Amino acid sequence: MSRASAQAHEGQPSAQIVKQAIQWSMRLNSQGYNPRLHQQCEQWRTEHADHECAWQRIQTLNGELNSRFKTLPDSGAALEALENSAQCLGRRQALKLLSGLMIVGSSTWVTREVMPWQQWRADYATQVGQRSRYQLPDGTALQLNTDSAVDHDFNAEHRLITLNRGEILVACGADPQSTARRPLLVQSRHGLFEGINGRFVVRQYQDHTRLSVLEGQSIIRSPAASPISVSAGQHYRVTAQQAVRLPALNMDAGAWAEGLIVTRDMRLKDFLTEVGSYRHGHLGCADDIADLRLSGVFRLEDTDKLLTVVTQTLPVRLQYRTRWWVSLQRQA
Amino acid sequence: MPSHHINMRTLYIDHHGWLNAWLRSRLGNAADAADLAQDTFVRLLNRHELLELKAPRAFLRTVARGIVIDHWRREELERAYLEAIAHQPCHETPSPESRELVFELLESIAKMLDGLKPKVRQAFLLAQCEGMPYKQIAEQMGVSLRSVERYIADALYHCYLLRYAP
Repeated sequence: MSRASAQAHEGQPSAQIVKQAIQWSMRLNSQGYNPRLHQQCEQWRTEHADHECAWQRIQTLNGELNSRFKTLPDSGAALEALENSAQCLGRRQALKLLSGLMIVGSSTWVTREVMPWQQWRADYATQVGQRSRYQLPDGTALQLNTDSAVDHDFNAEHRLITLNRGEILVACGADPQSTARRPLLVQSRHGLFEGINGRFVVRQYQDHTRLSVLEGQSIIRSPAASPISVSAGQHYRVTAQQAVRLPALNMDAGAWAEGLIVTRDMRLKDFLTEVGSYRHGHLGCADDIADLRLSGVFRLEDTDKLLTVVTQTLPVRLQYRTRWWVSLQRQA
Repeated sequence: MPSHHINMRTLYIDHHGWLNAWLRSRLGNAADAADLAQDTFVRLLNRHELLELKAPRAFLRTVARGIVIDHWRREELERAYLEAIAHQPCHETPSPESRELVFELLESIAKMLDGLKPKVRQAFLLAQCEGMPYKQIAEQMGVSLRSVERYIADALYHCYLLRYAP
């Protein structure tokens, strides 16, 4: 949301309401999945339009803060630099500019697909570049793609996996131990999905969640008014308001689980965004090659090697400025 | 706004030399002073509200002071960051381009945190940079969990105001 559109709101929520929204957001983020708390928060949000406005703003703010901090290549050094320089700056100001005037600069905000503060409370999490696989007690196999985090809450009524960040592949287990049929649910920020059988992939972006069914059948439970049944080979884009069927993707949705990126006629720039999610730092390309198309099967285990393969396929060359700044240029 | 520009021009002609000298006396460096004097006028040009010109020199001093602080903040950040990465085992020297990128990001964060109390700032940075749970922050800082929660909430409110205040 830009500054201008933020101001387009008629009224500003009061300080008290904003502080309440902050409390809700902190409480929800620092505890595991707690349906009661979620419900109370929902209830609070619906009480007044200002509540919802404050809530949305805090969510946006959290996302922005998180993406800004995450872009730092070395958080330890950044923390040290910020703390240390603040002290020195304070001393310098005190010595030379004792005037009591506080000037706060404006800043640029960047938004990326991140949700704040969730790495540590997740039951399972992967770092950037990591992928992992877990066997759950009901026979379900859960795979996490790079930089992903989930909680799971299995009880007598349901088997619930909450996707806090990133992307998962779920292979539905038969749940032989339980006598009642417990639905296998995946909750993302934008929707609730039920796996009936087979395998499906849920990927959470900043503003939507994508469901891809690889085998068998899944159901989109919310936000749609009536459940949508999704079968193998289908993809849906789900926002908090609606679920929309997508045309075929130009990238195989589940290939990452086998350590591969499989593309068909994919834009180079989009491809690099995908590869970049497995690496720290910047991976980009010059504008004049952004639209080159790429089809192929690429191995994820070594993304430096992967990039070298790209240079053998397309008329591009690699430019390494540092280990965290890589850019592709047109082959001279 | 033509009148705005006329004002700017007179302001520049009448006070540029004075501002330059004022900055030189603060910074002790003629080249930096000249740069920052220029920056001061550029910042004024980018302001959309009408200039308050009853006391032009007091006004210029106020703006220039902000610019001097920005300049120092940037210097301190660059120094502290290079120092921090130099302490790391097997560090690579980053290229000027990527360094510039990191500095800009750090600068935007430092500006955002300006005005926070040291403890609030520290708790917030531990949570954001290190992804540390509140409980662990409390242990590291030697304060109660409740205090940490209050610090983080304060910091978020501060950021909210920067982001959304009209």
